Amino acid sequence: MEELVGEFWHKLITKRVSTEHSGAKVNLTDLNSQLAPFYRALGGAPGKVIEGASARELKLHRRFLQRVAGTHRRTNIAWQDERSVRLPPMHAIFPDKALNEALYFWLTALAAQLPTIKHWFVDNQHATLDLLKSKPGLASSYYALVDAILPLRPDLDKLEGSKLIREQAIQQALKVPGSVANLPKASGDPDPIFLWLYPEPIHGVSIDADDELDDSDVENQEEQAEQLKGERKEAKRTNDSKETDGLLVFMLESLGTWTEQIELDRPQEEDVDVNAAAAAEDLDIITLSRQRRAQSAKIKFDMDLPAPQNDDLAVGEGHRLPEWDYKRSSMLQDFCLIQPMLADDALPAPVPDRLKMVANQLRNRFSALNFQTNWLRRQTQGTELDLDSCIEKISDPNDQLEKQNFYKARSRNQRDLSCLLLADLSMSTDSALNAHQKVIDVIRDSILLFAEALSGAGDPFAIYGFSSIRNKQVRFNLLKNFSEPYSDAARGRILAVKPGFYTRMGAGIRQSTEVLQTQSTHKRLMLILSDGKPNDIDHYEGRYGVEDTRKAIMEAKRKGIQPFCITIDEGGNEYLPYLFGDNGYAVVSDMTRLPTLLPKLYLNLTGQS
Amino acid sequence: MKNPMNYLAQNNEVEIFQHAAENHLPVLIKGPTGCGKTRFVEHMAKKLERPIFTVACHDDLTATDLVGRHLMNKDGTYWQDGPLTRAVREGGICYLDEVVEARKDTTVVLHPLSDHRRVLPIERTGEEIIAHPDFMLVISYNPGYQNVMKGLKPSTRQRFVSMSFDYPSPEREVVIICQESNVDKDTAQKLVTLGGDLRRLKDHDLEESASTRILIYTAMMIKSGLDPKEACSACLAQTLTDESETIAAIERLIQIYF
Ligand SMILES: Nc1ncnc2c1ncn2[C@@H]1O[C@H](COP(=O)(O)OP(=O)(O)O)[C@@H](O)[C@H]1O
Ligand SMILES: [Mg+2]
Repeated sequence: MEELVGEFWHKLITKRVSTEHSGAKVNLTDLNSQLAPFYRALGGAPGKVIEGASARELKLHRRFLQRVAGTHRRTNIAWQDERSVRLPPMHAIFPDKALNEALYFWLTALAAQLPTIKHWFVDNQHATLDLLKSKPGLASSYYALVDAILPLRPDLDKLEGSKLIREQAIQQALKVPGSVANLPKASGDPDPIFLWLYPEPIHGVSIDADDELDDSDVENQEEQAEQLKGERKEAKRTNDSKETDGLLVFMLESLGTWTEQIELDRPQEEDVDVNAAAAAEDLDIITLSRQRRAQSAKIKFDMDLPAPQNDDLAVGEGHRLPEWDYKRSSMLQDFCLIQPMLADDALPAPVPDRLKMVANQLRNRFSALNFQTNWLRRQTQGTELDLDSCIEKISDPNDQLEKQNFYKARSRNQRDLSCLLLADLSMSTDSALNAHQKVIDVIRDSILLFAEALSGAGDPFAIYGFSSIRNKQVRFNLLKNFSEPYSDAARGRILAVKPGFYTRMGAGIRQSTEVLQTQSTHKRLMLILSDGKPNDIDHYEGRYGVEDTRKAIMEAKRKGIQPFCITIDEGGNEYLPYLFGDNGYAVVSDMTRLPTLLPKLYLNLTGQS
Repeated sequence: MKNPMNYLAQNNEVEIFQHAAENHLPVLIKGPTGCGKTRFVEHMAKKLERPIFTVACHDDLTATDLVGRHLMNKDGTYWQDGPLTRAVREGGICYLDEVVEARKDTTVVLHPLSDHRRVLPIERTGEEIIAHPDFMLVISYNPGYQNVMKGLKPSTRQRFVSMSFDYPSPEREVVIICQESNVDKDTAQKLVTLGGDLRRLKDHDLEESASTRILIYTAMMIKSGLDPKEACSACLAQTLTDESETIAAIERLIQIYF
């Protein structure tokens, strides 16, 4: 009962003090897909994501009611670090929805213009000034925002002394950016400036993750951290993996002040060991939302193979493949054992409802390829005369009468192309992409839609997944092979795809090459859907893995197979040119678009030729 | 357009081309679509005072289309030279645009022409033509990922002097846009900046970069009186993608300039 009353009181009081306009509310999640390209186009780092910032505490002079109600104590301000741009999860500051939207675009442009902040007060003004000068359209929306925001700032008539001077300076800086050199000192923090970017917090709980997933006594802490999902909280990733030995470690650093007078309240408890997750929550400090490697760390611990009765069916005894050892410059014959696996317990399944429409569209669109016709010339039978051949007949001095090839005939689908899709099913695909999806979910949808599209096109295709645990366990998951027709049985297997282990890419490619060689088409395409560098838990990592993969790719090319890689790894540009050549790969930065991009990419690659 | 042969050099391409021409060497030009490859070759033809025979390659193109065929008239059949044969016989530049679009067997006829032999055997007539001293073979293609499956065979590539083109530098692109569309410099400047923004989206959000050509089209539409925002939307946003969210983002970009 007491709780109920409390809640009621909370609601009532929150309503009264709220200076927000819920009717004009704009959510970041709704705009994000526009903001991201907008940011990149304006020169923002292509690898950065835009995500919701958690509320940061500012020392605000709160009205009594607000203090009681607890709103406004935490404010959503915008900031960024090397990894992402943090914008408030929603904007409802203005009664006009268009202005709330404009604020998002303004902040995004500012983030592209001002990647790092040295002097908060000056840098924001300068970056603003630069944007206003070079982008006239942005200028008009900026001044509209300033006009709307000034009335929401503290009333100058009610301030006095140093606080008045400081507020005057801020308002002047907003009205005429670049005109105020210093922020006058006054006690407490100034009211947040929603049109500006804030520096990234210097201190926070640090969570370090490394590709080396070596030990396990941090398991608990990490799991706790993982439970705290949702918006991106303040955290810092230390880069020094040596220091932390590659483990996931929570480190509570002494919390200090930000430059520019924005203080983070000191934490109540300093003892992280007791309850790291709780401490993090209290501090508004959590991370791990997108750190895929970090998340994959967790899976390491239950990484023993599934019990045979729960595992896919191993088909046959396995197959030996060589591996390239670049240090010795030699092929290690029969070094890898690849094991074809079949998800025999996966029941046949139709296309899930949510994908039905897209699947139909894709199938229809791709079936146009099927009807692509070519004229076969100089045929003995056909629907039309081949004039060239007729005239030649008449004009050729050494004519051979018996050759009666005067016709042209239409041939159906002369594409003469087969494709094998090889999907990386390593455990990193188990990491969360957003609140509702894991990477593997998007990969699953992508594979399925790809298959739907190709079944429309009529090009022969096969789909495999792979993952590995050292050289003796390279699992090659059969999802659809070339000879079986695409049916609900294959769909069922695709829908049952789950994250596996590590990424011994060379072996996966070699096996796929062998499979593709069974196809007699003129062109053979190997599409590799990857989510990161080649790696395994043995020495297969770093340069070794890259070199072996490269070798496998070169062998495939020599055998007349065209490999192409689609990766969701933002860092792909660093190593993929070495593996696949400058034009042999594509980086997909917005993973959620992969399912529709993959068929399109296939279309572009295989074109009409 | 004032002068359709107007060409603003980006680099030392004119000099390279001249040397290749003097030495009777064939030239390969690679670069993204709409960056000025065709314009350059046309310009060079004029400069060297040689006729130009341009063939836009496509997947139905056959060797016959290049070399020639027999035709009929009231007197019977007669032989008609194709564009390649004309260039070889009469002297001139034969320009095969987007050569990777052509089927592989088509490019084989180029081999004896692109090495020291400089001959064109014509199977149908039994003729073997020795190339005119002014004959020059030029081919172009776009090396983007869309063409990885097509590609040129190394044995073909290695017969050419190769040059790589890209979109002109911003300063040059402004000049080109002004020249081609007669739009004012301020508008051209905005279009070039916007174009630069859009080019950053390549590989992430767009499959194709905004070409110089499409920027010129936009400028022409603006020049003839269309509202700049609408011109950009029709020529850029809608042209570069079908994704509604990407279009929306591009519209936002357009709004910050116009
Ligand atoms: N350097 C340049 N000087 C003058 N005009 C240029 C130049 N580069 C591009 N253009 C313009 O861009 C248009 C497209 O160029 P084009 O040569 O057709 O491209 P490509 O052959 O590379 O696809 C030309 O019609 C011309 O108007
Ligand atoms: Mg051209």
